[in-house]
Amino acid sequence: MSELSRTGYQTDKMWVTMGPQHPFSHGLWTLRVKVDGEYILDAEPEVGYLHRGWEKECENRTYAKIIPMADRLCYSASMTWSHLYCKVAEEALDVELPERAQYLRVIADEICRIQSHLMWLAALGTDLGSLTIFLWCLREREFFLDLNVRLCGQRLTTNYPRIGGVRNDMPYYFERDCMRVVTRFEKALWDIINLTDESTVFVNRLKGISYLTRKQVANLGITGPAMRGCGVDYDIRRDDPYAAYDKLDFEVPVLKEGDAYARYMVRIEEMFQSCELIRQAFNALQKIPKTSPYRLKVSRNIPEGTHMARIEDPRGDAMMYLVSDGTGSPYRLKVRSPVFVNVSASKAMLEGCRVADIPAVMAMIDMCLGETDR
Amino acid sequence: MAMKYLHKYPKKFRGTGGIRPMLQALKTMVKTTVHRPVTIMYPYEKEWIPDNYRGRPGLRFDRCIGCGICERACPTKCITIVEVEDDDGKIVRRPQVYVGRCMMCGYCAEYCPVDAMTTTPDYELAEFTRKDLIYDPRRLAFEGTTEMMEVHLEEHLQSNLDKGIEKPTAFFDTDRPVLDDNLCIGCSRCAKVCPTSAIEMVVVGQNAKGRDIKRPKLDSTKCVCCERCVIECPKDALEIEEVL
Repeated sequence: MSELSRTGYQTDKMWVTMGPQHPFSHGLWTLRVKVDGEYILDAEPEVGYLHRGWEKECENRTYAKIIPMADRLCYSASMTWSHLYCKVAEEALDVELPERAQYLRVIADEICRIQSHLMWLAALGTDLGSLTIFLWCLREREFFLDLNVRLCGQRLTTNYPRIGGVRNDMPYYFERDCMRVVTRFEKALWDIINLTDESTVFVNRLKGISYLTRKQVANLGITGPAMRGCGVDYDIRRDDPYAAYDKLDFEVPVLKEGDAYARYMVRIEEMFQSCELIRQAFNALQKIPKTSPYRLKVSRNIPEGTHMARIEDPRGDAMMYLVSDGTGSPYRLKVRSPVFVNVSASKAMLEGCRVADIPAVMAMIDMCLGETDR
Repeated sequence: MAMKYLHKYPKKFRGTGGIRPMLQALKTMVKTTVHRPVTIMYPYEKEWIPDNYRGRPGLRFDRCIGCGICERACPTKCITIVEVEDDDGKIVRRPQVYVGRCMMCGYCAEYCPVDAMTTTPDYELAEFTRKDLIYDPRRLAFEGTTEMMEVHLEEHLQSNLDKGIEKPTAFFDTDRPVLDDNLCIGCSRCAKVCPTSAIEMVVVGQNAKGRDIKRPKLDSTKCVCCERCVIECPKDALEIEEVL
């Protein structure tokens, strides 16, 4: 039998549609990948299944009524989204926050960041087939959700920041509980790290896949831990500080590797830094008298103008753009969702990977469809 | 401030394979074999929740003045003001909540000027029909309402803070309707709808035909800034003046 010539055959490339209901996609979205056997040549995300007209709906509501709606943009980062909305309204009103409110917002934001990253780590664990990581992470997350309950009465839809301050002062036992949870969590996170970083399977599946260069990051507009894992040293909390972040001392983890494992490590370090931020914020709060104001009375109408605010979401650079026309409800409220931009990088991230790597790579975006489709 | 994980961990990673991962796994297993269970057998035992938990809204029927601030503050429009009989058989206005639409934001409790609306730790609200989810004012009452369930609106005025006064206040203490005298026709509709009877019609003079000219007079101590007079006014003569 003569040897077959390889050039004489046309090997098929195939488009595979993953989603909208697929174990790897956390939420409703579709990823279409072009595969050549096991390797991925092209990828195309399709989002929009969860579009509910959030921005349009805001135009029919008064400014105060949008805060609980902003909570529902993202189920696991609700605190930062309502904080962001309040921030843009405060900038429009030119209000300076009371100091106590600033620290309370930092504490609330960092609790939110930790529990969001824990949700991500849990999902990453299941994507890579380790259910223990999922269970342990959710167990730790439960403590932070309990802190949310003590602070503002709800676990996820917190509705805590207000335009001009926060909803309520912290209860007297909150600092004690918070400190216990943070101290406990710093130990427990090392246990989880033992499961992940010491596991050959886990590290091998993340290391060396889905490289992104700094140029790609800049061109695609990737922000957040995915960007910092590629060597771009930028964090809004430090470089364009809001609330009380400029008074606190923390490090921004940056790694130059640019692969999925680097993005994972950045997020783990961010959780440790958040613990430290919470501790420092409480130390600073002790110096502020307990009866000091935490909420300013603001006008219900916002003067005419356009305003922009941004904040460091657990997933990246969240931004809101407000056009007000002097009435009690916004003329236009635009949301810049970090995930919506990051997911557009899926082609760059997936090219050259294998099909089995897709869950691990896409988990690094930390998909949240509520804010993506809004 | 130093990195806690990045400085310590990646350097220690010894590549793949070897006995170290196994030893580490064994260590973790031994460490976590004995511990308290974290599972809660839900319907039989429930998690402790604090009093400030934001469950369904609750109403203290006797405290409510029927001003309707909760109805207007509600983002999902799940509150409607209905007319019910109170204990003496008098018809009064009280909120009714369609809990199926409630998003548990707690705005009704926050903005209530008399703390009649509260948040309650009641979260098991499942019913078989949607109609059962409509809570009338009597059903809204919650047994064992504590002070923690009230949400107090404690805002500070920037003008007060500039003067060095730190006294919490709220919009129902400061904001008041003001009258544009040229637009008022003296129909006294504002006085009729006022839930706290803060508005009284007073005769200020007589017109060319010899009839009384009436103008509303506001009792600032009674007013709760519910804006019902502003909404009801047929000529838009009343407007809320905000104090900031």
